[in-house]
Amino acid sequence: MSPAPSRSLISLASALVCVFSAAAAQAQAPAAPAAPPSWQQGRSAEQEKSPLHPFAIEVTGKAANLLPVDKLKVPDGFKVEVWVDGVPGARSMALGNKGTVFVGTRQLKDVYAIVDRGGKREVKTILKDLDSPNGVVFSRGTLYVAERHRITRYDGIESRLDSPPDAKVVVDGLDPQKQPGHFWKFLALGPDGKLYYNVGAPGNIVMPAYFQAAISRVDPKTGIIENYAQGVRNSVGFDWHPQTKQLWFINHGRDWLGDESPNDTLHVATRKGQHFGYPYCHQGDTLDPEFGKNRSCAEFTPPALKLGAHIAPIGMRFYTGKMFPAEYQNNIFIAFRGSWNRTIKQGYNVTRVSFDADGKPKMEPFLTGFLVDEKADPPMWGRPNDVMVMRDGSLLVSDDQNGIIYRVSYAGK
Amino acid sequence: MFAAALCFFLHGAIAEEVPRKAQACVACHGPAGNSTDPAMPSLAGQPAQFISMQLFMFREGNRKDPQMSPMASSLSNADMNELAAYFSTQKPAAASHGTASENAAAGRRLAEQHHCVQCHGPALLGLQHIPRLAGQQFAYLRTQLRGFKARTRADFDGNMTSAAELLSEKDIEILADYLSGLTPSRD
Ligand code: HEC
Ligand code: HEC
Repeated sequence: MSPAPSRSLISLASALVCVFSAAAAQAQAPAAPAAPPSWQQGRSAEQEKSPLHPFAIEVTGKAANLLPVDKLKVPDGFKVEVWVDGVPGARSMALGNKGTVFVGTRQLKDVYAIVDRGGKREVKTILKDLDSPNGVVFSRGTLYVAERHRITRYDGIESRLDSPPDAKVVVDGLDPQKQPGHFWKFLALGPDGKLYYNVGAPGNIVMPAYFQAAISRVDPKTGIIENYAQGVRNSVGFDWHPQTKQLWFINHGRDWLGDESPNDTLHVATRKGQHFGYPYCHQGDTLDPEFGKNRSCAEFTPPALKLGAHIAPIGMRFYTGKMFPAEYQNNIFIAFRGSWNRTIKQGYNVTRVSFDADGKPKMEPFLTGFLVDEKADPPMWGRPNDVMVMRDGSLLVSDDQNGIIYRVSYAGK
Repeated sequence: MFAAALCFFLHGAIAEEVPRKAQACVACHGPAGNSTDPAMPSLAGQPAQFISMQLFMFREGNRKDPQMSPMASSLSNADMNELAAYFSTQKPAAASHGTASENAAAGRRLAEQHHCVQCHGPALLGLQHIPRLAGQQFAYLRTQLRGFKARTRADFDGNMTSAAELLSEKDIEILADYLSGLTPSRD
């Protein structure tokens, strides 16, 4: 063993190493980042210079009186108002038996209960420290919550909001790899009594594992899970047609294929086991430049409607209330939370999908005014992301950018 | 354009009355949030959303610091928004740091090569939840970059941890020296 070198030798040696490695680094092309954030995955080399980025929510919420809420617009005869603010990160909504509105969050860790006391609404944080508790469902006295890794139930919670019961696990282990990706979950109760949830793709455009890029269902009595729909990049909104009982769902298309491609989509699953294309085929007719080689779109179930590129449909529900005009019955409301992955932005509204005599869907904007300047950064001041029909037939719309819930009602003529 | 209009609107509404809440802060962060201590961050002119998000992360324990964490622990969301509105409207003092001449061009090159400018803006002035780096205190910038690289400084969305991963200690030194000497505002 050689004696320990003197201090000056070490610094000389390390200086040499520095010079050497700097020269080596210059000789090579710059190394690719080891772990780019998942929203950057799938960019071309030239897109690395793109200034497009997802927008962060206001984690502390924003008071409605500081926002241009008077700029919101609805069709004639309708009215939009702020229902409640101070609900930071408000995402999916569920309605309790006694009228409590339960609200999940994605980038925060809380679930809220909003109690309406004669027009004055109180926001309570009832569950804390959860892992992206985006999905909420209420049924027969039980609140179900979908986190990244599990679905839990809270029985009898509506009568004890101030001391909620402990979580009971319906199913666990839904996020086995604990990697970044589209793993926050939407949750809905199907007409078969099963809980339906999404497990999205692990990145923007990657080959998913068998349980990913799927809508699955779990029987809350047995905890047994099944894949229901495959090839769904990420669906965070679905509902069943009130008459046909078929599952309708929205899907987010991939990013970084340009301003106009591909569309986000609205689908109907006519049975279990259909494949909707991801990662091979987008919007029913566009092969992926990488994964679509040697494939054909004909092998996949096409969408019912193209919604617009990167427009980020989040919540969607059929309208079954009695308040809006008759032609709104069984229409679909969809909340568009995007776009960010376009140079010219679009969306940031709640859109109405109606059906013609042949059952062909068409869409028109219903609640607008969040988008202010399609070329600005940010282009909007608020982002609608879930819609829910209340018992009186009015429509609640959550905005996670500001932590606000709006109410749309119809007064007529 | 819109952002500017909205900021004006927000600031006009509440910025004037705040200073009572902000008095505790200026003891460390300097008058009007312009720090004179190389290890202490300036808050003046930071985007409001960035300030409220950092306060939130200190309160929730994602970001930890022996001096700062206790200051945030009892703030409500509304307090955070008020403090953010106040400090974001204070004019940043001119940069006191002089960038070493050999680091000006090298720093710019690194900031472009590592896409710092894509997120923090071409003049490194920040926007939304992304901080202004231009004119920030040198030692503070260096500590934060080392922290992101070592994963001891948590960030909200993982963007910064990934951006700092490839920086060498020498890159960090050059970048901090370059950024700290930049003009901290548009005017
Ligand atoms: C006792 C000294 C002290 C006081 C008082 C103090 N801070 Fe801090 N603050 C710090 C230190 C030190 C840091 C940097 C922590 C680190 O290195 O991560 C910091 C960081 C911050 C940051 C993050 C800045 C950045 O660029 O990331 C914000 C925002 C902040 N403080 C706001 C406040 C506000 C608002 C108050 C008053 C309510 C306050 N501070 C009071 C010491 C203090
Ligand atoms: C993909 C977007 C992105 C890129 C690229 C990026 N940053 Fe950041 N940076 C952020 C965000 C977001 C934050 C706030 C992090 C947080 O605390 O959540 C931040 C925070 C910082 C901070 C902390 C400042 C403070 O006041 O606390 C420093 C320093 C910084 N960035 C420097 C850099 C440098 C230097 C580069 C290039 C090597 C870079 N950033 C590249 C998004 C980015």
